Amino acid sequence: MRRDEMKRVLIPVIALTICFTAIWKWTLGFSAFTVFSYTLQKAGELPRSFPDLAMISQDDTVFHLKDKRKYVLLNFVYLNCPYVCHKVNNQLERIYHLFDSTKVPSRLEFVTVSFDLGNDDVEKIKKYREYFGPDIPGWTFALPYHTDQKSFDQFLRQIGIWKYTVPGTGIINHSLFLYLISPENKIVQVFDPARENDHSVYEQINLCLQKQSI
Amino acid sequence: MPSKTIHIIFITVISGLAWVISFPLNEWFSDTMPRHQLLQLPAMLLLGILAGLRYSRLIPIRFPWDVALLIFIMASLVFWMLPRSIDTAVIHPAFNRLMHVTMLAAGFLTITVLRQTIFEIRIAFMAMVSVMVFVTGMTLVTFNILLCSSFNIDQQKETGLRLLITGMFFAAGTLFTFFSGLGKKT
Repeated sequence: MRRDEMKRVLIPVIALTICFTAIWKWTLGFSAFTVFSYTLQKAGELPRSFPDLAMISQDDTVFHLKDKRKYVLLNFVYLNCPYVCHKVNNQLERIYHLFDSTKVPSRLEFVTVSFDLGNDDVEKIKKYREYFGPDIPGWTFALPYHTDQKSFDQFLRQIGIWKYTVPGTGIINHSLFLYLISPENKIVQVFDPARENDHSVYEQINLCLQKQSI
Repeated sequence: MPSKTIHIIFITVISGLAWVISFPLNEWFSDTMPRHQLLQLPAMLLLGILAGLRYSRLIPIRFPWDVALLIFIMASLVFWMLPRSIDTAVIHPAFNRLMHVTMLAAGFLTITVLRQTIFEIRIAFMAMVSVMVFVTGMTLVTFNILLCSSFNIDQQKETGLRLLITGMFFAAGTLFTFFSGLGKKT
């Protein structure tokens, strides 16, 4: 091939390679196009350790997830959310009722954490929990305990949750993922409620519980 | 008026408008997704195109550099339509200004290259841009989950709908250029 012909091929190919590589790196290999998926992937591969965080429940009890020594399905909401948090909690409620009492709460617990440290308190989450019925053993609503905003944001990043407060509105846009944490305190599964239906989530959790029994 | 003065006035006006869009009005443009994606980004592109219309002939671009530059322009448009890029741009104004510079350059280079390149490459580029805008619009309209955390789902759908319409106009423009160019060739 002559030098001129080589140049005609190489220059566009090099340009394409540079652009392709830049977008490939930016999207973590064409797999993370949104900040939500990027933050989740950056947090690391599964299974990975769940960082410790003290929480306070609707009954004023301080607890750590690692002390539960059972499977926990964890999600994050904030009570002033205009729409999507309640929709996710409604989905979680349906998943909760798919399990019978041999599994919840003895082997699996649900924990819903509010990340609006400025507005939500124990009283509010207690009242909010009542919307899901008077008898929901094994579903705890909680708040981070004695944690400042900076440490909590760092904790969220560590587990792969993106959170952004829209200036001037009080609206918190955030990842909706549901985390399944094993009795060994490892994140073993992450579900996206926007993409997975109740039965799919239920079956995958059930599979983990069955594996544990074996 | 001497041509040097005209050049100075033209460059001052373009730079001034770019500065106004990028600095004093940045917060307003970043407030909603349609403003950010359908006003601020195209405004920068348009300023680049205006500069290109005036000065493109001063920069001779021949094959294969024209193809390389069109690849860069396409990649820039793709990059700045990615939800993660949009979010980062809204949250970090410095990153947003990087978008502005890229769009100015992309607009300038688009005109410079399209004026000098061959008909087939021009059509291929225009068709790809039309498809890209159309597909982005369709994605934003059909996805019922929030893709950009800085905005809301209504704004996402509104942006998508307007991009769909823009994509159709681009496609019509491409067809017009294609058939009018064919006529000239034969």
